[in-house]
Amino acid sequence: MATNTLAAAEPVHAPKPRLIGFARRVRARPLFLLGIALVSALVLVAVLGPFLVQYSPIEQDTVNPPLAPPSAAHLMGTDYLGRDALSRLLYGAGVSLQVGIASVALASIPGIVLGMIAVYRGGWLDDLINRFLDALMAFPSLVLALAIVAVVGPSLLNVELAIAVASLPHYARLVRGQVLAVREFEYVTAIRAVGARDVRIMFRHVLPNVISPTLVQASLGVGFAITAEASLSFLGLGVQPPAPTWGSMIQTGFQYLEVAPWLVVAPGTMIFVAVLGFNLLGDGIREALDPHMRSAN
Amino acid sequence: MTKYLLGRVLAALPVLFVCSVLIFALGRLLPGDPVSFIAGSESTLTREQVDAIRRDYGLDQPIYTQYAIWIGKIATGDFGRSFLSRRPVTEVIAIRMLPTAQIAVQSLLLATIIGVWAGIFSAVGRNTWKDWLATLLTLAGAAVPFFLTASILMIIFALRLRWLPASGYIPLSVDPLGSLRTTLLPSLVLSLALAAVLARQTRSSLMEVLQQQYITTARAKGLREIAVLRAHALKNAFLPVLTILGFQLAYLFGGAVITETIFAIPGMGRLLVDSVGARDYAVMQALVLLVSVTVVVANLLVDLVYGFLDPRIRLVRRGN
Repeated sequence: MATNTLAAAEPVHAPKPRLIGFARRVRARPLFLLGIALVSALVLVAVLGPFLVQYSPIEQDTVNPPLAPPSAAHLMGTDYLGRDALSRLLYGAGVSLQVGIASVALASIPGIVLGMIAVYRGGWLDDLINRFLDALMAFPSLVLALAIVAVVGPSLLNVELAIAVASLPHYARLVRGQVLAVREFEYVTAIRAVGARDVRIMFRHVLPNVISPTLVQASLGVGFAITAEASLSFLGLGVQPPAPTWGSMIQTGFQYLEVAPWLVVAPGTMIFVAVLGFNLLGDGIREALDPHMRSAN
Repeated sequence: MTKYLLGRVLAALPVLFVCSVLIFALGRLLPGDPVSFIAGSESTLTREQVDAIRRDYGLDQPIYTQYAIWIGKIATGDFGRSFLSRRPVTEVIAIRMLPTAQIAVQSLLLATIIGVWAGIFSAVGRNTWKDWLATLLTLAGAAVPFFLTASILMIIFALRLRWLPASGYIPLSVDPLGSLRTTLLPSLVLSLALAAVLARQTRSSLMEVLQQQYITTARAKGLREIAVLRAHALKNAFLPVLTILGFQLAYLFGGAVITETIFAIPGMGRLLVDSVGARDYAVMQALVLLVSVTVVVANLLVDLVYGFLDPRIRLVRRGN
C-alpha cells in the first residue's frame, strides 16, 4: 500500500501518452506492422521449431532413398543425405538468429565506443579512427568477412566476429556523426557550463541520443548478418557441417536444383523473409522515432 | 577547384595506406609459416634451405621492413607468385578480370535502367498505388538474397524453358551473343538489389528537387509534367544518385563472390573463394587490395565529378 501512495504522489510523467502516441504511429504504418510480425514469427520458429519437428536435423533416413519429395513423413522431403529438410530449416532459423544478434552486439558496442572516443578525444586520434573506418569500408563487407574467416578459421564464433568486424565501421560512423551533432545542442553546453565531466556528459546525456539511430542500424544489421552468414556457409566457410544452416542447405541443394528445387528455394525464402522483416522493422523504428514524422501525424 | 581536387586526392592517400597495412597484416596473421606453403608439403628441406627461403622472401627482416619491401614490389606491379599455379599473381588475376568486369558493367546498366525508372515512377506518383508498388518492390529487392533470385531464375530460364545456360562463361571476344547469354542471369541477379537502392535514392532525391521553387516556376510557365521532369528536375536529381557508385562497385564485387560460384563463372569472385580454400594467400591479398583500391579510387572520382558538377560542394565541403 505504501508503495502505491508513493507512486501516486510522484508527479505524473509523460511516458503513458508518449507510448500511446508511439502505438498509434505503429498502427498507422502497415509495413512496420508487417516487419514486427515477420520478426516475431522468425523468433517463434527459432525458439519453438526444435520442439515441433519429429526428426533431428542431422538424423539420416536410412530406410527411404535420399532426396525424397515432400510426403507425410517428411513434409518438405529429405536432402541428399536423407536428412529431414523441414527440421534443418527450422533449426537453421535458430543459427541465423543467433549469428544475427551476436554479430550485431559484437559490432555495435565497440562501434559506439569508437565513435564516441573519436569525437571526444578528437585531433589525431579522430583522424586515425576515421582513416581506419574509411579503410574498413573500402572492402566489400562480404569480402572482408571472408578474408577474416580465412585467417581465423570457420566456426560459429569466428563467423560472428568476422561479420561484426565487417559491420563495425557503419556503427562507429553513425555514432560519430550523431555525437558531433548532439554535442552542439544547447543543453549539452549548459551541462558543460555547470561543470560536468566529459565521461558523464557522454554517458548520461549524449548516449541516449545515439541509441535510437543505432537501434535502427542494429535492426538492419541483423538482416545483413543473416545474409552474410548464409553466404559464408554457402561458400563452405561458415558454421561447419553437419550443423543445419540455411547457407549450407542452399550449397548442397544447388547440385539437385533440377530434381529437388525446394531444397534451395525454401531456405532462400526463409533468408528473404528474415531480412525483409528486420529491414521493415528498422525502417519502422526510424520513422516512428523521427520527430518530423511524429508531427506529421 | 585545384585546391578541392588536391584536398580530395590527399584525403584518399591515407585510406589507401591503411588498407594496404590491413591487408599486409592479414597476410602475416594467416595460420602457418609462409615457408611451409612455398616449400610444399614434403618437409625434406634442411634447416639451411628453410633459412634460405626465409631470406629470399625477406621473412628474416623486421616487420616494417617487410611491409616496405612488400608495398615496394606492389608499386612495381609485382604481387608475387601464386602458390597454387606457380604463375605470377598478376597473370592469374588478369585472366579472371574480364568476366567480372563484364558482369559488373551489365549489372550497373540494368540496375540504373530499372532503379531510376522505378524511382521516377515512385516520386512522380507520390502516395499513390504507383508509389506503394515501387516501394514494395524496392523493399523486396533490397532483402532478397542472391541465392533465391539465382535459383528461381535458373529454374525458370535454364532448367524449364532452356533459353539460357545454367552455368559457364563464354568470353565476349569469342562469341558476343553467347557471352551475353552466359552472363545475363548473373547480371540480373546482381542488379536487383542495386536497382532497389538506386530507386530509393532517385525517389528521395527527385522528391526533394520537385519541391524547389524553380520547378514551381517551370510548372507555372505551363510546361507539361514530363517536360518539367526531363528539362529541369532529373538533371539535379541524378547528382545524389551518382554518389553511391563506390558503394555499388564494392557491392558488385561482394556479390560476384556468390554469383560466380552459383553460375560457375571463372571471374575474380570465384578466384577469391578458390584462393581462400586453397590457402593461396598471395592471390587472396592481391585480390582484396585490388578491390579496395578500386573502391577508394571510384569514391575519389565521384567526389571529383561531383565537385565539378556542383559548385556548392567544392566551396563548402572540406575534407569531410
